[in-house]
This record gives sequence, structure tokens and C-alpha cells, in this order.
Amino acid sequence: MSGLSPRQWTGLALLAALAIALPFAFEPRGYGIRILCLALLFAAMAQAWNIVAGLANQISLGHAAFFGIGAYTSTLLLIHFGITPWLGMFAAAILGGAAALLISLPTMRLRGHYFALATLAFGEVMRVIGNSWGGLTGGPVGISVPFAQPSLALMQFRETRSSYWLMLAALVVVTLVFVAIKRSRLGYRLRAIKENADAAEVIGVDTTRTKIIAAVISGALTAALGTLYAQFQFFFDPDTVFGVASVSVRMAMIAIVGGIGTAAGPILGALFVIPLEEFANQVFSAQAAGLSQLVFGLLLILVILIEPRGFMAIGPRLQRLLRKGDRR
Amino acid sequence: MIGGVYAVISIGLTLVFGVMGIVNFAQAEFLMLGMFVAYYAWAWLGLDPLLAAPLAFVVVFLLGAAIQRVLIRRVLKAPEVAQIFLTVGLLIVLENAALLMFGSGFRSVSTPYQTSSLQLGPLFISVPYLAAFAMSVASGLALWLFLKSSWFGRAMRATAQDPMAARLMGIDADRMHMLAFALGVGLTAFGGAVILPYLTASPTVGTQFAVLMFTVVVLGGLGSVAGAVVGGLAVGIIQSLSALVFPIQLQNLVLFVVFIAVLAFRPKGMLGAAR
Amino acid sequence: MTAALLEVSGVGKRFGGLQALSDVSLSVAAGEIVGLIGPNGAGKTTLFSTLVGLHRPESGSIWLGGRDLVGLKPHRIAAAGMVKTFQNVALFLDSSVLDNVLTGGLMRHSIPAARDLARRCLERVGIDSIADKLARDLSFPERARVEVARALCTEPRILLLDEAMAALNHAEMDAFMALLRQLREEGLTLVVVEHHMRAIMALCDRLVVLNFGQMIATGTPEQIARDPAVVEAYLGRSAA
Repeated sequence: MSGLSPRQWTGLALLAALAIALPFAFEPRGYGIRILCLALLFAAMAQAWNIVAGLANQISLGHAAFFGIGAYTSTLLLIHFGITPWLGMFAAAILGGAAALLISLPTMRLRGHYFALATLAFGEVMRVIGNSWGGLTGGPVGISVPFAQPSLALMQFRETRSSYWLMLAALVVVTLVFVAIKRSRLGYRLRAIKENADAAEVIGVDTTRTKIIAAVISGALTAALGTLYAQFQFFFDPDTVFGVASVSVRMAMIAIVGGIGTAAGPILGALFVIPLEEFANQVFSAQAAGLSQLVFGLLLILVILIEPRGFMAIGPRLQRLLRKGDRR
Repeated sequence: MIGGVYAVISIGLTLVFGVMGIVNFAQAEFLMLGMFVAYYAWAWLGLDPLLAAPLAFVVVFLLGAAIQRVLIRRVLKAPEVAQIFLTVGLLIVLENAALLMFGSGFRSVSTPYQTSSLQLGPLFISVPYLAAFAMSVASGLALWLFLKSSWFGRAMRATAQDPMAARLMGIDADRMHMLAFALGVGLTAFGGAVILPYLTASPTVGTQFAVLMFTVVVLGGLGSVAGAVVGGLAVGIIQSLSALVFPIQLQNLVLFVVFIAVLAFRPKGMLGAAR
Repeated sequence: MTAALLEVSGVGKRFGGLQALSDVSLSVAAGEIVGLIGPNGAGKTTLFSTLVGLHRPESGSIWLGGRDLVGLKPHRIAAAGMVKTFQNVALFLDSSVLDNVLTGGLMRHSIPAARDLARRCLERVGIDSIADKLARDLSFPERARVEVARALCTEPRILLLDEAMAALNHAEMDAFMALLRQLREEGLTLVVVEHHMRAIMALCDRLVVLNFGQMIATGTPEQIARDPAVVEAYLGRSAA
């Protein structure tokens, strides 16, 4: 099970080559590579969401809580104590994991719509706190990451291309974590919970503990990615990093568009959704605010109606169609 | 007082869940639409928002029926993740469509009674609040009578309890779902219209009400109409009390905390699900 | 007779207004095969669910090998060695047969060890040929056997089988009963809910009869068959 087939290895090698070559096709400080960076970051975020939602079917609408915690943790540590974002990222992960534990304890018994509602409310709690605790977060006006000389130590770069490598590395790490979990005992247990929680308990799966572990890992990774976001954008406010539509739903949507529960799904989804959104922004922003968001919502509805299992299910579906065609 | 209005806008949400088993994340957007219908009825026809409320109900009822027919119906048997994100997508679409159509500005109406208030013993009660409350009670009673005594109402409750059995009795579950969804969003829009005299309409107003509605419904028990009434009153009281203790920004926070606590400890609501 | 492995006394369980179990007491000795019979709705499945911790009884105690299980979660009870199968079969439908069974082994083993154990369990139940099929694609009798293999893979001391033979034909049933006897030889204790009286009579050392949530009789199959209360409550009606 652990080995890949030669064909899969070739595919993976090609993909790696592409990922390495791609940034050189863009201006090193240009707009294109910024989009690419965001796509990779959101792919990683969707992958982190995928751990809980894809494997255990616990649909969270509150992952923005962890993301925002991560963004604020490293930024505040940098501003007040001059601590490098590299360490800040670890602190963020610890706080994000702790927050995930905190929200898991009361919500773990909930399933389906109830879980989605509770996590949604948790994200909103964090947004309200972020907006009203001005002394700490700077409130609704937002907060800036202090800009120093570009240096690796401070996770600040002269060229966006350098950020690209960082985002790529993040995506690879989160994807590896996802794959490792999927193949581990934890992954088997999560799948058992997804498919039949009562049966899982009866044959010895500690469903509560399993879900909490997954939630903590997912929350910690999401928070670490929040740090990367802060260091990439240099400025953010509570409504952005704790936003339902801007973070929680977008993470989920990317995973769903690509294929929920699969390792490749979030990557495909992000490479599709993020550029499309940016494109819509570019084209429509002159005409009216809201149009690109409208496109975003319509896309989500379309994907749900056409193929709720995302891109990853379209391939096999096409193959089946083709085979049917052959037989005729 | 405010609680009565909360109850009515939330009854719509609970109705949709009770009959179809779907949490409509976009429910609050229909409140926003109701406000806009009432606003334009006032701006173009000079209609008082309280009189426009039935119009808002009808318009959104029809829209709801169409949405159920075209969208919601297709995910009723789909996995929960599809149900959740379909209504989340609907939320995004409605909010931004409103943004495109109505602009991002805040709109309010002016009515002769807007600033007047009645004196009842030692209490001063603002007329728009009182009117909204009275309208809410009236519409709530109307719904209750409808569910209780009409054939449609009984058929709808039968569908909610056991869709299979209802089908065997010759009830078209599909039609009942459409009716429930349309009625649910229509009622919420009605609530949106009656609060217009003391609030401003904007495309994002739904967001403010979303959590409130969910708290009301969860407090009372998802799917229970009586629960929504109790929950509405409870949330009204919680809000008034927390206004005395906390600064304005934190009032919503109190609601959130109540919301999560209820979900965690009494996920079936204070009345214990009446299904 | 050795000391009781499972000792249930005075267990009561109510759902709303319905008293599903009242004052049920029974004891099962190690190595015994006990049959649990009774008309539909008598509380057999409820009793199983209560024993493995899916329901918490309002009264009574459940001892397994000197340990009180009331209030423990199902996975703790599984770890203590008591597992049940589900009457309507609760497989992980989107997983392969092997993965279904393997998941049962993860409680005590690493993945490779659990996989080996799962293959042996599949062989024992006689379905190793369908190991790579998706559970969703199986026939009902196949699913019931996967369910048994998965329970076996948790290496229980006592196994509660809820109508595992429901869809089997005569030859399959004979093979299955042979398997159960052999498992008993190897030290497993079994409690079996079954509607096929022929199978029950041939297989069990002792029968326990439930009716309306109460235990109305216990004894050897021969005694039970002659018990007037049982004939009245159960056999009489099913024969009619």
C-alpha cells in the first residue's frame, strides 16, 4: 500500500518538475506569481481542512478562527517582542491546536449540520473578538507586519518568487501530513467514523479522541498557514483573516471543487478557483463590486449540483462514459 | 418585544429544517430581500412598510418556491456536505446579487410614527417596535392556524414526521417541501419588512441576523415552531440584559457563546426536539 | 461449570415512555454458546446495544470478567473484550472488505499486523475471495459475514451475534454453525440472537427467552421447548 506504481511515480516527478519550472515563467515580482502563491497557500489551507472534513466528514465552517489566530500570533510576537515569524509560526500552530481542542470538546458529539453551525459560530466569535479587542489586534482598522530589510530570518523577501518556494514547501508539508494521516491508523479510524460512527465505536475506535486529534492537527496547520499569509500580505484585518466567506468557506469550497477527501483535490481546486476569482476581480471590478463574489457563489452551487465529489470524480466518470461509448 | 420579531423571522428557518431536514444557511438573506421589497414599495408606491409586509411575503414566497424547485430539491438526498454548501453558495449569491442590484448603501424609510412612542404607565414604548411586534404576533398566529387546521398544514406536518408514510397517504412530498421552503423564507421576509421602520436595509444586513436566527432556533430546538417562539423571546431578553452589562460590540459575542453552549449541552434545544 | 464471564443483573432501559428492558439478569459462562430468543420487539437488539455501551441502562450492572462496564463507552467495552455485530449490518460501505475487517484489528495492532489478522479472519469466515471488493457492492449474506469477520478481528472474549445467519441458505448455515463451534473450541464465548429455531436448537448450550423486555425463561434447548410460558409467548405464536 505504501508504494506507488511506476506510473504514479512518473506523474509525481513530472508534477515536481512543473512546480519548479513554473515560477520562472512569471515576472519574479509580478502579479502572476502573487496569484500563484495565493493559490498554493489556499491549496494548503484546503488540505488542512480536508483532514477533518474529508476524512471524518466533520464539515467545519469555522477554520477561519485558526487561520486568524495564526496570523495574529506571529505578527504580534514580531511587533512586541521581535520574535522571528519562523518561531511565531510554531507558536501559532500551538495556539491554533489549543483553540481546536477548546472548540472540539463541546462540539465533538455534534454531527452534520449541527457541527457546521457550531464551528461557524466559533469563527464568528473570533472575528468579533478580533474586532473589539482593539488594544491587542488593532481592531477593525487592521494591523501591519513591520517591514524590515528583506531576509530569510524574518520571512520577508525581495522577490515574490522566494515566497513561492515557501508556499510550495508549505503545500508539500501539509499534503504529506494529509497522506500520512490517511494511511495511518488515525486515517482508518477517521474513515470508519465517517462511514458509520456507531459501528466504529463498537469495534474499538475511540471516536471522540480520534476526532479531537484530527481537529487539533488540522487547526495547528491552519494557524501556521495563517502566519505565512500574514508574512505574505503584510497587512490584514479581523474581517479578512476571520472571515466566513474569505477564509472558512473558501477553504472548504476549494477542497470540494477539487475533490473532498483526496490528496490531489485541494491542489486542483485551488489552482482552478483562486486564478478564476482573481480573473473575475480583474474583469468585473470596474463594473461593480460584488460580481466576482457572485461568480464565486454560483460556482459553488454549480459544483454541488453537477458533481459534489469535485474534479477528482470527473476523470473516472468520463472514463466510464467513454467505455460505454466504445461498447456501442 | 424584539423577541416577538425574532421569533417570526426564525420560525421560517425552523420550518425549513423541520420539514426538509436542511439547515438553510441562506435564510437571513431572505430577511434582507424582504426589507428591500418593503423599501421599494415605500419608495415607489409610497406604501408603508407594515402594509408592504404581505407583499414582501408574496414576492419572496414565489422566489423561495422557485429556489426549492431548481436547487434545493436536488440535494435533499445528497450528503450533508452538499446540502450545507448549496445553501452557503446561495447565501453568497443572494448577498452579492443584492449588492449589484441595490448598491452597497444603507436605506431607510421615514414614516410618521417613526419617532413617536406610547406611554404605558411608567414605560415608554416606541411605536415602530410595537407595530413590528403586533405584526409578528399576527403572522405567527396565522401560521399556527394554518399548520393546525388546514389540510396543507396537516399534510406538511405529516411529511415532516415521516415522508414515506405521508407519500403512502397520497401526499406529494415534493409539493410539501416546496410549500414549506417558500412559506419559511416568505415568513422571514415578512419579518424583514416589519422591522424596516426602525432599521436600515443593506445587502449585508442578513449577516447581522444570521447568528441571531440560528441562536433562536437552536435555543428552541431545530424544527420546532413553538421552540422558535420561546427561543425568540429568550434571545430578546438575553440581548436586552447583555446590553446593560456589555458594550455594544460584545453583545453579539454573548449570543455566540450562548449559541455554542446550547449546541454543546442541549443540541435538541430547551424544549427537547419536538421533531 | 466455570465462573461466569458475563454477569448481567437487573438491567433496565427505557426510551421515553417505552420500557425496552426491565430487570434483565443473565449470566454467561466462559466457553458457552447462549441463544437469545424472543418475538420481534422483545428487546434482544436493545439488550445487545446496552451490553456493548451504545445505550446506557438506567438500572442494573453489567460485569465482564470481574469488571463493571456500565457507563463505559463502546470502544472501552470492545477493549475489554465484548463486541457485537449489527442486525442491519453496519459496514463501512465505501471501504474494501479487507479495510473493513482490518479496522477492527487496529485496536490492538499496527496496520501490517492488523492486515494479516484481517486476512485470517476473512479466511475463517470463508470470504477471503472477496477481500478487495467494495463493501457497497456485496450481497446481503456477504455483508453479514464481513460483519462477523470484522468483529472477530477485534479478538473478543465474548461475541454477540445479532442475526448473523439471517440470509444464509441451509448449507451456508451449517458451515457457519461449524465455524461458531470451532471458535468456541478455541475459547470464544458466544451469545447469539437468531430466528432460525433449527439453528438455535442445534447450536446453543442454553437459551434465554425475552418477551416485552423481560426475561421469561432460561434453560437448555430441550427445557425451553417444553416450557409452557415460552410456548405461549413465542413458539405458539410463530407456529401459528
